[in-house]
Amino acid sequence: MFVNLTKLDLKETCPLTDKGAPKLCMKALPGEGAERSCAFDGARVVLMPVTDAAHVVHGPIACAGNSWDNRGAKSSGPQLYRRGLTTDLMEMDVVYGGEKKLIQAIIDVARKHQPKAVFVYATCVSALIGDDLETACKEAQKDVSVPVIPVNAPGFMGDKNIGNRVAGEVLFRQIIGTAEPETVHPFAINFIGEYNIAGDLWGIQPSLEAIGIKLQACISGDARFDDIRTAHRAKLNVLVCSKSLTNLVKQMEQKYGIPYIEGSFYGIHDTSATLRAIAKAFGDAGLIERTEAHILQKEAETRAVIEPLKAQLSGKRAVLFTGGVKTWSMVTTLRELGIDVLAGGTQNSTPDDFLRMKALMDPTAHIIEDTSAAGFLTLIKEKSPDLIVAGGKTKYLAHKTRTPFLDINHGRSLPYAGYAGMITFANAVARTVFSPVWEKMRVAFPPEVTVNE
Amino acid sequence: MSNAINLYGSTNGHSTMTGPVAEPRSYTGNPQKNSPALGATIAYMGVDGLLALLHGSQGCSTFIRLQLSRHFKEPIPLNSTALLEDTAIFGGWEHLKKGIAKAADKFQPRIIGVMSSGLTETFGDDMVSALASLRQERPDLIEKPVVLAKTPDYIGSLQEGYQRTVLALLDTLTVDPSPRESNTVALFPGAHFTPADVEELKDTVSLFGLTPLVLPDISTSLDGHFELEPAPVVQGGITLEDIRRIPGCIASFSFGPSMAVVGESLQKRHSVPHIAVPSLTGLEAVDTFYLKLCQLSGRPIPERLLRQRSRLLDTLADYHDQLGQKRIAIALESDLLISLANCLVEVGAVIQVALAATALHENVLPNFTFSSQYTVEVGDLEHLEERAPGSHLIIANSNARQAALPLKIPHLRAGLPVFDRAGMSQKVWIGYRGTQQFLYDCLNAMAG
Repeated sequence: MFVNLTKLDLKETCPLTDKGAPKLCMKALPGEGAERSCAFDGARVVLMPVTDAAHVVHGPIACAGNSWDNRGAKSSGPQLYRRGLTTDLMEMDVVYGGEKKLIQAIIDVARKHQPKAVFVYATCVSALIGDDLETACKEAQKDVSVPVIPVNAPGFMGDKNIGNRVAGEVLFRQIIGTAEPETVHPFAINFIGEYNIAGDLWGIQPSLEAIGIKLQACISGDARFDDIRTAHRAKLNVLVCSKSLTNLVKQMEQKYGIPYIEGSFYGIHDTSATLRAIAKAFGDAGLIERTEAHILQKEAETRAVIEPLKAQLSGKRAVLFTGGVKTWSMVTTLRELGIDVLAGGTQNSTPDDFLRMKALMDPTAHIIEDTSAAGFLTLIKEKSPDLIVAGGKTKYLAHKTRTPFLDINHGRSLPYAGYAGMITFANAVARTVFSPVWEKMRVAFPPEVTVNE
Repeated sequence: MSNAINLYGSTNGHSTMTGPVAEPRSYTGNPQKNSPALGATIAYMGVDGLLALLHGSQGCSTFIRLQLSRHFKEPIPLNSTALLEDTAIFGGWEHLKKGIAKAADKFQPRIIGVMSSGLTETFGDDMVSALASLRQERPDLIEKPVVLAKTPDYIGSLQEGYQRTVLALLDTLTVDPSPRESNTVALFPGAHFTPADVEELKDTVSLFGLTPLVLPDISTSLDGHFELEPAPVVQGGITLEDIRRIPGCIASFSFGPSMAVVGESLQKRHSVPHIAVPSLTGLEAVDTFYLKLCQLSGRPIPERLLRQRSRLLDTLADYHDQLGQKRIAIALESDLLISLANCLVEVGAVIQVALAATALHENVLPNFTFSSQYTVEVGDLEHLEERAPGSHLIIANSNARQAALPLKIPHLRAGLPVFDRAGMSQKVWIGYRGTQQFLYDCLNAMAG
């Protein structure tokens, strides 16, 4: 019923015995307070940014009701993906099964919203009561003209990362290669794992255009379903959110002969390195030359703007707590602003992301082992950083420690990718670190009364 | 018709006041429901030193923490029993025991508040026997208060989960009778009360010379405040000692129709007279409550409140023309929905459509003076989108922006989640002053 996890090459990199390493193959302990979300969420993260598709969650209200339209993946056009669509399973569905309701729901959604495809997500409860997602989708397909795609990653399957991988399988087996593009650009690439959070993609695209690279498909930020179908005609895959979709690029390499590189567009260094790697992968002299010229110009421009900020931020110390590519890319990016990472931790990254972060950090830096609220508070007290860089779940706890905080995960409102993103990022860091509000919180009030003799 | 339960029927066998919403469909589109376990979390957040523990998959608690964090702008101490695939076969009983033990050992909370999920209720984990078994193995945990709330998704929305959890808190933690305290009253605010609403309520009751014990009390926990030392458990809220004093109160008040069962339970178990207050928004509603407080305390209505009443009347005079005949489309959890709809009809507005997140008990509406002037239906925010055109104002949570923006109808944020407007926790829409504020907020939203 479920994708066989051993086929998702989890084993080759796991388990890591390093302190604080993400416990990919280990079970999260009940009650320890270090939840890493669930497989359903992981699958949703990868697929839901497909803007012109309908995303139907087959489950009780907890799965869709609490979470729809809560990520910052932006669209330049269709808004259908932001809708919360669910079968909202009730007691009678649990008793009698929810397949019939699901089939009708898919048909009704397709009729009402005219999507380009319907993604249908299993959840813990639908899986437990034995609803056969594949069969229901096939049945609904008879009445629906666009593809109906089952996504079988119920929450109890594991954490977010496993869900990412299941989504990769879905993309590979059911979507990519199902349509041909009208023309194929000689320098066509795919981004894999770029979700256009807060418009990140739009900060990278100007550079691609400047050097003459065509984005065939972005998986899946600001994506149109039909573009993803033609992704097999790209000449190169650029894996942006690091390892969570490695299974996808490896299979595309095997089946379609598309090589892949890994990269990041956070920070000047990583942006330039990734652009360079793309150009090098094509090996075209003209492209390489254009790329170098672009890098030279943009680096100089960007550095000139952030130099005054760097001068002020130099020597500040940060605690970093994030997932995916940001795990390691942020270490470099913060250093470009003169900020040292005192301690780093990760929940939703792969072991490889983690090792990369560790290698970049100062050997004396602390690796966060206890990722619960308790562990976080102890660490902040111990280290007294000048800045905390983490995601939305940590944001308000971080504020209670009266420490400058920057949200770099999916809840943020500003794009940080590419050269333009680096300027935005530098300004955001400076705004929080130098905000006048923090010192007000450290002053005791009312002042202690001193009695004059 | 597989969606009958969702749209037309009640989840618990009671008939409803619903009429057909739109063309029948088998899915929920842009849900306004949140999970009952999310409501349970809000209730638990009003108890000092508590750590909440959700018995379910890891995503269940992650989603709740994110949703409540972006609404309250506060950290949410909620852990999970982190169920995995093997529990689908063997059940989650052992995970629950381990989770409670781990939460107790690692975080040292004063109370552990457990809530179940759709998953664990589907395979039927017996939480009571799990706790008993754990206490046999770990006698040191016998004295640790652990509250168990059954909150599977199919009981409704956050309002229903909150209700069950307040009931579980009261029933679990007030086992012994306590000595009568002559001026002490128990207050059970509904899930729709903001931290500032609860504070306003406490202040008002105190003006009558009464001492309020509020369960749950989010006015000192989710109000957004600084502690000397932040902790990974609830900081603020009602203390365990104060909860145990509740059976000694001279009376209890419940606020919102869904909370009446809590007051009734206290009355049944500890003979504390219960007074149900269906709404605290709108002139008549507030008048009724204050007159009850007069009776109970033997004091007249304080001068300060009469002054506020006079100001509210002046506001009604000044703005009656701008409120009169305005068509309002409103979609909220039912307690808040009826409260606000009733207040709007009272000042001359017209309810174009009123969509409740979940079905209403049949005896709810007769408690509201003006409820004959509108129909309450059960629906989601896609229904709102279909039914709101032609209205002057939409009142719903932030997710209704998907309806309001394309329709170009002003949208007053209410309910939960509200993540795109500042200051929701400090908003007061109860009492004379709060009613005045609510009407101002409607007027300002319509003014653009």
